[in-house]
Amino acid sequence: MNDRLKDFVSEHRDDFDVYEPRTELWQEICQEISAKPKETTKVIKFSFGDSFSFSGDMLFMRVAAAIILLLGCGLTLWVTKQNTAEGNYTIAAANQPAINNIAPELVEVEAYYTSQLKDKREELSAYDMKVLGLDEKKDIDREIARLDSSYLQLKQQLLTTPNTEKVMNAMIQNLQIRIEVLNRQLEVLQKIEKLQKQPTTEEPLSDETNV
Amino acid sequence: METSTYQDVNQHVVERCKGGDNRAQYELYKLYSKAMFNVSMRITNDYAEAEDVLQEAFISAFKNLHAYKSEASFGSWLKKIVVNAAINAIRKRRSELVPMDEQVAAEVADDITEDNDTEWQVENIRRAIQKLPDGYRVVLSLYLLEGYDHAEIGEILGVSESTSKSQYSRARKKLLEIMSTPHFAA
Repeated sequence: MNDRLKDFVSEHRDDFDVYEPRTELWQEICQEISAKPKETTKVIKFSFGDSFSFSGDMLFMRVAAAIILLLGCGLTLWVTKQNTAEGNYTIAAANQPAINNIAPELVEVEAYYTSQLKDKREELSAYDMKVLGLDEKKDIDREIARLDSSYLQLKQQLLTTPNTEKVMNAMIQNLQIRIEVLNRQLEVLQKIEKLQKQPTTEEPLSDETNV
Repeated sequence: METSTYQDVNQHVVERCKGGDNRAQYELYKLYSKAMFNVSMRITNDYAEAEDVLQEAFISAFKNLHAYKSEASFGSWLKKIVVNAAINAIRKRRSELVPMDEQVAAEVADDITEDNDTEWQVENIRRAIQKLPDGYRVVLSLYLLEGYDHAEIGEILGVSESTSKSQYSRARKKLLEIMSTPHFAA
């Protein structure tokens, strides 16, 4: 369809643009677009009173949040690890006052036997180890160690079992056995010494002296 | 299209704008603001609203400049933004954009003669366009002055091409009718 109106308008197209926007409009647009970048990158701001304030854009905050989260997780893990380690100590430390409550006499008994055992050991160590039968020495050490571990078990039982006297007796017995073992050892050594001093020799010991 | 001749020159300015150059942005504004304001003015038919649309369109254009792929000229890209912003503005204002035309169409007399084209004057046509109801004015402006074909207008307004065609022919009749009224010339 031949549209003469369209043709006429096309011919005079430029004459139709008669309006002009206000000149201030650019200023308004300019303000908006220069303000825009700040808005589009969302800024998060923390402020704690006047003393401390902190702001950063979205990306920075994301990274910071991730780091804080990681640090928090790490710290929590570390602290729980520390706590469990400390927990072991506290149990051990708590034993002492607990034992004082259950069996106050044990502390004295322990102190007495510990000093006794120490004396015996010193006496034993005075002897030349080469003179002493090595196998025998190992057996004694093993025996003492066995007694030591059973003693510790008894000490634990003391905290849990109601019959403290029975356990106490067992513990004291344990300590006495140790002393007995060491006494026997000393006797043996003293005998060896005597035999060494006398010229008459016995078969099993001659081997030792030759060493 | 009146803006296509600027395309090569603009390419350089547009690139500077993408980098946030304020002076380049002003250059583009100076170049297009008048034409775009008239586009906006013809659609909204309201000075203040046309300014709001222009402002919104330029801000949106500068913000979304990375989306401009220079397939079309910058002018026609910008014009599309202005047209859409203006149409949104009048849709917000009145929701009767398309339906209202049916009743107006009935009033249009068919016996308008077109042999008075010798008397046509730009100013008369322009004023007559302003007197058209929104629906007619938009279709007629887009077709006569903004250089869109009916398929494009249909796309912009969300109607079919044939609807755009029939709307235009009714708008055109109405326009001639307005211009032929005795007290219009005054």
